[in-house]
Amino acid sequence: MAHSTQTLEKGAAKAAPAAAVYSIRRPRSATAKKMFPYLLVGPAVLYLLAITLYPGLFAMYQSLFVVKFVNWSWAGLGNYTRIVQDREFWAALANTAIIGGLSLCLQTIIAMTVAFYCYRDPFVRGWRIVFLMPMLFMPSAVAFIWKLAFNDGRVISDLLMAIGLVSNNVDWLSSVWLARLTLIVADVWQWTPFLFIIFVGALQGQDEEIEEAARLDGASWGDIFWNISLPMMRPIIVVAVTLRGIDITTMFTNVYIMTQGTPGGATETMSYFIYRQGFRMFNFGYASAASVLMLLITIVIAQTIVKRAFKSGKS
Amino acid sequence: MASILLKNVVKSFGTFVGVQDMNLDVVDEEFLVLLGPSGCGKTTTMRMIAGLEHPTEGEIRIGDALMNDIDARDRDVAMVFQGYALYPNMSIYENIRFPLRMRQVPKAKHDDLIRRAAEMVELGPFLDRKPGALSGGQRQRAALARAIVRQPQVFLMDEPLSNLDAKLRASMRVQIKHMQRELKVTTVYVTHDQIEAMTLADRIVIMNKGVIQQIGTPDDIYSNPANTFVAGFIGSPPMNLIAGTAQSGTFSSAGVRVPCPANLSGNITLGIRPEDCQIGGDNLQGQVYGVEPTGDITYLTVRTANKNIEIKAGREFRAPIDSAISVGFDTSRLYFFGEDGSRVGVN
Repeated sequence: MAHSTQTLEKGAAKAAPAAAVYSIRRPRSATAKKMFPYLLVGPAVLYLLAITLYPGLFAMYQSLFVVKFVNWSWAGLGNYTRIVQDREFWAALANTAIIGGLSLCLQTIIAMTVAFYCYRDPFVRGWRIVFLMPMLFMPSAVAFIWKLAFNDGRVISDLLMAIGLVSNNVDWLSSVWLARLTLIVADVWQWTPFLFIIFVGALQGQDEEIEEAARLDGASWGDIFWNISLPMMRPIIVVAVTLRGIDITTMFTNVYIMTQGTPGGATETMSYFIYRQGFRMFNFGYASAASVLMLLITIVIAQTIVKRAFKSGKS
Repeated sequence: MASILLKNVVKSFGTFVGVQDMNLDVVDEEFLVLLGPSGCGKTTTMRMIAGLEHPTEGEIRIGDALMNDIDARDRDVAMVFQGYALYPNMSIYENIRFPLRMRQVPKAKHDDLIRRAAEMVELGPFLDRKPGALSGGQRQRAALARAIVRQPQVFLMDEPLSNLDAKLRASMRVQIKHMQRELKVTTVYVTHDQIEAMTLADRIVIMNKGVIQQIGTPDDIYSNPANTFVAGFIGSPPMNLIAGTAQSGTFSSAGVRVPCPANLSGNITLGIRPEDCQIGGDNLQGQVYGVEPTGDITYLTVRTANKNIEIKAGREFRAPIDSAISVGFDTSRLYFFGEDGSRVGVN
């Protein structure tokens, strides 16, 4: 009995300070409680709206006018009807698809191959961050380096001559495909690490017990990769490639610095086309309409790919 | 079907020695259980047989072939993992089929083999599901089916039941034993659960700190433990170990007095199993510390000056806490261990 009384007293002693602690806190009004989260994310949201949503809406609005600096005249869908008849627009779209598509394929294949060969390597496990180096360079610096290597400095030509692959200096801007190749090389060099880091991370996160089980079932490393790792990585691959793809469709810096769309517009990407229309020819309304079209195309393609990939991944 | 031979096998990880100078001969068609606490080297031993770890020294043979330099995929062993290790992207059917595909078994035979294996583990209705849609027990059976489907020379099972609940574990235990008898495949089974070891094994290998403590049949290990480690590991509750001294044919400790072989003297540890004690007698005097009725049996804990002694009393036994009690031992079932822990005083 004495025992139980003691516990009761102890319990009471414990409860008292707890109550005191609660009473220190000032009761907050229900509205203040509700507003608090919005207050926290508010600044970030405002900032994002100011730099993305406002210009976006402004571009949509502007695309309905013929704009010559301060003179705005209503055009309705006039800009759009002109654009779909503009050969240069379609050429830029095709160039973006060709350069971006090839670059994206190469990046994915290289990143996946390297990731497959080294994901269990202890050095790569500990130091995978160093593979991000090319991504840390300023894009314009990278473009200038490659411009120097291909065109102005002739480094690549000299190297090719040294190993006997070519006998004369190569003029990279003289041919459609060589010019495109320089853009692809520069993009692959800078952005393959992005995909590599994602792929290697996914492979490293794979359950080692599953790999061991497959080994004992008689699978080679290649079998494991094709039958188990790759299907399991599918959603990750889709997201990574989509992100990279969206990024590639806006390829501008390299084009601006390395080729300026030459030869004969063969390397003019959509971004460069829009830039040229807007800031060289001052057709602001026309450039805005092209931007809006590009945005729509990108959203539709990305949405379709991601949706399909995740649907079949689930079933 | 094959025998397995480990000869002077050592496995060290840096300075840590995981397995020390191990010699083990697993007979063809035998069910051998490696038993021991966590970190005793049992899983490392199994992984070396599988080819997932390479021995630092020594030889591993399966059948007559030396396996040291043979890759895991070429050893013709199948393993069941604790975490099942099913391929999450494939249906159960494809999971079971995977080893057949990888080993180039003719396609025409696949369906028949898969259905037979699935039937053996009663998994027929679930073949088109993915592992994520199955319960733990079903996943474990799928893992078993994947192991048996290609009729390997050796089965390795690494704590396959430890992720299951107690009831399921008991029924899977019976299933595994039955399956092994039917298939007659040499099996090495790793567990830290002595009940699994006792019920499944033809022979048990008890390991501690990378060293084999004893190899024997379950009966042998239960009735003739080689040292205090084995004695304290096997049995539920395990054997009581009471430190004391022996002098001229009598062992004594605080509250304990039993006859012992006359040739024993000095510091000795007495071992007595809870089931070999009876209420009433003159070998042990103490106080009741705890009474735990479980229905079919009552566990009694008696406190002496040095130690608490566990006793299995009759189902009806009840006694108030702190009351004095005297206990008798079955003196034909006493075990004595020397200072180094090994068994002494055996004829």
